[in-house]
Amino acid sequence: MASHGGRDYQNPLLENDDDDDLIDPDDADINDFDDPLQQQQHPHHQPSSSSRGAPPLTGNIGSSGGGSGNTQSAWTSRIPGEDRRAPTNTIDETVWETLRRDLLAVWSKMREVLYPRYLFGGTMFDGGVQDGGGLRGAYASLRGAGLAGARDELAGLAGRVMDPESLLSHNNMTPGLRDWDLWGPLVFCLLLSALLSFKSRGDQKAVVFSGVFAMVWIGEAVVTLQIKLLGGNISFAQSVCIIGYTLFPLVLAATLSAFSLHWIARIPIYLLLVGWSLAAGVSILGGSGVVKNRVGLAVYPLFVFYLGLGCLCFIS
Amino acid sequence: MDPERTGPGALSWRLSSHPITLLTFLAFRVSSLLVYLFGLLLFTDSLVMIFIATILLLAADFYYLKNIAGRRLVGLRWWNEVDPSTGDSHWVFESSEPGTKVINATDSRFFWLAIYAQPLLWFVLAVVALFRLNFIWLPLVAIALALTITNSLAFSRCDKFSQASNLAGSAFSSGNLAGSIASNMVGRFFSR
Repeated sequence: MASHGGRDYQNPLLENDDDDDLIDPDDADINDFDDPLQQQQHPHHQPSSSSRGAPPLTGNIGSSGGGSGNTQSAWTSRIPGEDRRAPTNTIDETVWETLRRDLLAVWSKMREVLYPRYLFGGTMFDGGVQDGGGLRGAYASLRGAGLAGARDELAGLAGRVMDPESLLSHNNMTPGLRDWDLWGPLVFCLLLSALLSFKSRGDQKAVVFSGVFAMVWIGEAVVTLQIKLLGGNISFAQSVCIIGYTLFPLVLAATLSAFSLHWIARIPIYLLLVGWSLAAGVSILGGSGVVKNRVGLAVYPLFVFYLGLGCLCFIS
Repeated sequence: MDPERTGPGALSWRLSSHPITLLTFLAFRVSSLLVYLFGLLLFTDSLVMIFIATILLLAADFYYLKNIAGRRLVGLRWWNEVDPSTGDSHWVFESSEPGTKVINATDSRFFWLAIYAQPLLWFVLAVVALFRLNFIWLPLVAIALALTITNSLAFSRCDKFSQASNLAGSAFSSGNLAGSIASNMVGRFFSR
């Protein structure tokens, strides 16, 4: 067994027949026990060796050696079908591949923020992505249908904004957002704090910086806690990651403040940017399975958080 | 593999089999400390810039150690995965299969020294900052401690596991079934 029990992804241990599981838990794969799909995909599986429930112990002893090899190809062929991540063993990859993969992951998260699907229609209709996608689709329908199309589009937008309940019924978290990282929260939090302290008086720079820094992290923690307490099925770090990435529009606002935008011009622009943050946050966090009828309760602290940071940008 | 032997395990980077990785790793480890300690004297008088530089260096060190240095120097890696249906996160600790990867004694000695020395140093700095009432630096030191201790614990967990089972099963999920499915690991399964 020692030679087989590897974590080689391409050649997983599955040389055992299914009914070895109880007798040899060292090599048992959990997929044997739980996944009904596998049984369906392989109808040639003998029903007697079905892994559902507890197979009789007597059946295991005889087959424990002989099962080797004949099911291997079936196993290796069924593994890629259900893998959530790339099943490659990446422990020997080059540094460049690692960097590239992680940068792409960061970029995919940024794209979710730059392009909030909540507003642009990707989430409400399952086919939204296919039919040209969000903004471009809206633009196309504007050109195609003229005024009536524009009115429909606006009505749709308003309907979507007014109706967060139906949004949250979808689990719209993309695979890229499932694996979290803290680069976005870190970088945007630092940028926000630095830009806001840029314009403050010399003796207050450090205080402003650390204050904003702490406020962002505490705010992220509180919003996440709220979502968790309302029954959201999102992990703590994941939520912090998403909220951190959605700070991007507020970083834009802080940049404008650092360049001394006039205060009258700030009002509409910053409201727009806060709305953008909120749209991105809601569209990504939306699918986190908060209890029905409590959606507004979950979204409200997020709104307060963005609005507070927006006000800070405004007065700085 | 015995770090106490003077010959192959000596602390000289020339004996390393990945000298560039090792030197970059050590540079990242040391630079955050140096910037924190001497930044105010040497470079700039702005607290904020030192704060940012230290945090970015700490983050880079964390990333480099977790994803690159640990993998190339000692063949260990760990990460976190989230089960999308429940939101539970679990940790995966991975080690390379014995026999496939030759781990240089010098590399591993440098690695483990650096990995355990760093949290200790930051802890000393935290105590110093606490007693000098430098409250503005306490968040920074807390972040540094969190990052370095996380890496130390995770890698020692990885290593313990790789030594505990020479069968090289390296999926270790803290005892939850869904986690095991998600981990894609087909090694040993601990039904705790």
